[in-house]
Amino acid sequence: MKRVACLILCLVGCVAVLSATPALAKKPIKVGIVDCYSGPPSTYTNDVRDAFKMEIDKINAAGGVLGREITFVTRDSKFKVDIGLSAAKELIMRERVDILMGTINSALALAVSDLCRKEKIPFVVTFSKSAKITGAKGHRYVFSITENTAMAGKAAAVGLSKKPFQKYWIAGDDYEYGHAIAEGVWANLKNMRPDVKLLGESWWKVGEPDFTPYITAILAAKPDAVIVATGGRDCVPFLKAAKATGFNQRVPFYMHTATELSTLKPLGLDAPEGVLGTSNYFFYYPRSAANKAFVKTFQKTYDRYPAVGAVYGSLAADFIAGAYQKAGSVDTEKFVDALEGMTVDSPLGQVTMRAYDHQAMLPMFMGVTQKIEGYNFLIAGDIMVIPGEKVMPSVAEIKKAR
Amino acid sequence: MDGAANITAAALLQQILVGLSRTTILFIVSSGLSLVLGVLRIPNVAHGSLYMIGAFLTYSVATLAGGGTVGFIVALTVAPLGVALISFVVERGLFCHLYEREHLMLLLFTFSIMLVFGDLVKLIWGSDYRSLTAPLFLQGSFSIQGFPFPRYNLFLLLVGPLVAAGLWFLTNKTKIGKIARAAAVDREMVGAMGINVSWVFAAVFVIGCYLAGLGGALVAPTQNITQGMDHTIIIEAFLIVIIGGLGNIWGALLGALIFGLTDAIGILIWPQFAIVFPYAAVVVVLLFRPKGLLKSTW
Repeated sequence: MKRVACLILCLVGCVAVLSATPALAKKPIKVGIVDCYSGPPSTYTNDVRDAFKMEIDKINAAGGVLGREITFVTRDSKFKVDIGLSAAKELIMRERVDILMGTINSALALAVSDLCRKEKIPFVVTFSKSAKITGAKGHRYVFSITENTAMAGKAAAVGLSKKPFQKYWIAGDDYEYGHAIAEGVWANLKNMRPDVKLLGESWWKVGEPDFTPYITAILAAKPDAVIVATGGRDCVPFLKAAKATGFNQRVPFYMHTATELSTLKPLGLDAPEGVLGTSNYFFYYPRSAANKAFVKTFQKTYDRYPAVGAVYGSLAADFIAGAYQKAGSVDTEKFVDALEGMTVDSPLGQVTMRAYDHQAMLPMFMGVTQKIEGYNFLIAGDIMVIPGEKVMPSVAEIKKAR
Repeated sequence: MDGAANITAAALLQQILVGLSRTTILFIVSSGLSLVLGVLRIPNVAHGSLYMIGAFLTYSVATLAGGGTVGFIVALTVAPLGVALISFVVERGLFCHLYEREHLMLLLFTFSIMLVFGDLVKLIWGSDYRSLTAPLFLQGSFSIQGFPFPRYNLFLLLVGPLVAAGLWFLTNKTKIGKIARAAAVDREMVGAMGINVSWVFAAVFVIGCYLAGLGGALVAPTQNITQGMDHTIIIEAFLIVIIGGLGNIWGALLGALIFGLTDAIGILIWPQFAIVFPYAAVVVVLLFRPKGLLKSTW
């Protein structure tokens, strides 16, 4: 008897679910997102997903694209290449997604990119900072809508070359991201300012618990400025140690993600002031109507400030929807052709997808951490805008790398 | 590169002091691990998770108590006790039924506890970074011969010897300490003397875990409180316990000193390859003393 009741309940449930989904004239466009949604990286990836959802909800409410709804499914890669890659395969084979999106893990992004090249599925990279994605390992089906280490390095070099510093020290995470950022900054800076000198380098393991001994050792070398190539979860403890030792008052230092919301918010008003950083986006900059509207909607929907990931999520949605609209069909090849060289409006203003390497031409903002009344955490001030064209490696350089 | 030219006596002294303050945390955590390992024979992989919970609890308690100096002191007292309470429940509920099992089983069991704790932390506190501010009187730094030395590190330098003295008193001067040491050598004999070994084990386990929580509470203002801090510390703590001699808390002190100091000095003299130094020290110790520096209780 119980069994029968259970069965009936199940059936009723199924019918309810089926009738809840609106009958659509056409098959929806399905986007598969593989990214790390567990552990510390989810601080960044949640913003991408949430803003993406917000944007496609808006597009769907307005009738979708080509009369189709855009839907998406997510898979947690747990920051592991094997898990993420099999999830990507599953999304292609079983879920039959039209497009893949992700990932914050660069090794996984490259692996999925390779898979998408073989499967001819467009892959929109949303957070990986590896310059190889649209550089040496770029191909027809991969697109990046986030800055990469080459761009960050160049932007930082442009900013730092305007400062009077000569003797530098480089310190960073001993893995690809750290070395790539450091090399990017240093090679470009050396180019722009041949008089700069490298005093030495320190490299620590990812997840280093205590930066105090590193900072005191760097201070002993007395550099004019320090390039700190650390990212993700190491930023917060590094800034803490910088504050405790008075590092920022003794020697100016640059840290790529120092000004980002996800770095500064946990520190509250205890973050060190005067730290140089670069970012693609702040919720308070650019001070345009488009950005204000975006921040307002995001805050209303999720009850928090959008961090840089939110802009990547919204760019992804707009590029995908826009390219289908422009292509006029759901054909993958036409979609890729349409996306090449396409320009969309975003909270950052107009952003163009460079046709040759499929890298979105994002501007970079260099700012200094400051206490500003009205915020219970530090924000970036004295913002210097480095436009997308100046930040990007030239097409000739990309050609050489490939 | 003229890195070597920077090594002055003052820089070296300061680096040693910074290294010693790191040693304090390592010692507190690994002495707890060693105590449990020595008396209960449990290689407690979940020890790092208790350290992480200690840090998260410190954050929450300090925030609830209104932050500032009062909040920090309340948190420093309450959070390790909270961890001790959790460990008491785990010991009485789970571990005490498993002491007769072989080591591999216990290892797997503590490993699963680590995973459960990791997910619990994610459920309760989420995946964001947390950051706790040191109380005002411990913020900033003062100068030692022109080099900055954070006040909080000085505080750690004072706490370290206190904990060591407390542990010495506990193991040598109190009845429970003496029984625990005896149980470490021969638990059947202690049982035959009419002592309830099970409760001795519970007490030792709780003390060991309290130390993990204390380590987490002390480290909270110096780094970001996040998932994953359990993995980092447990690897270091096990290495320290192994080079010191399994189950010997003074071995843990020696191991922590070696680990902390080689780390800090390595950073000063060869910063590009500093990561290698403490591990190289472990290798060297194990080459010459495969059973650890001091007498193992195993």
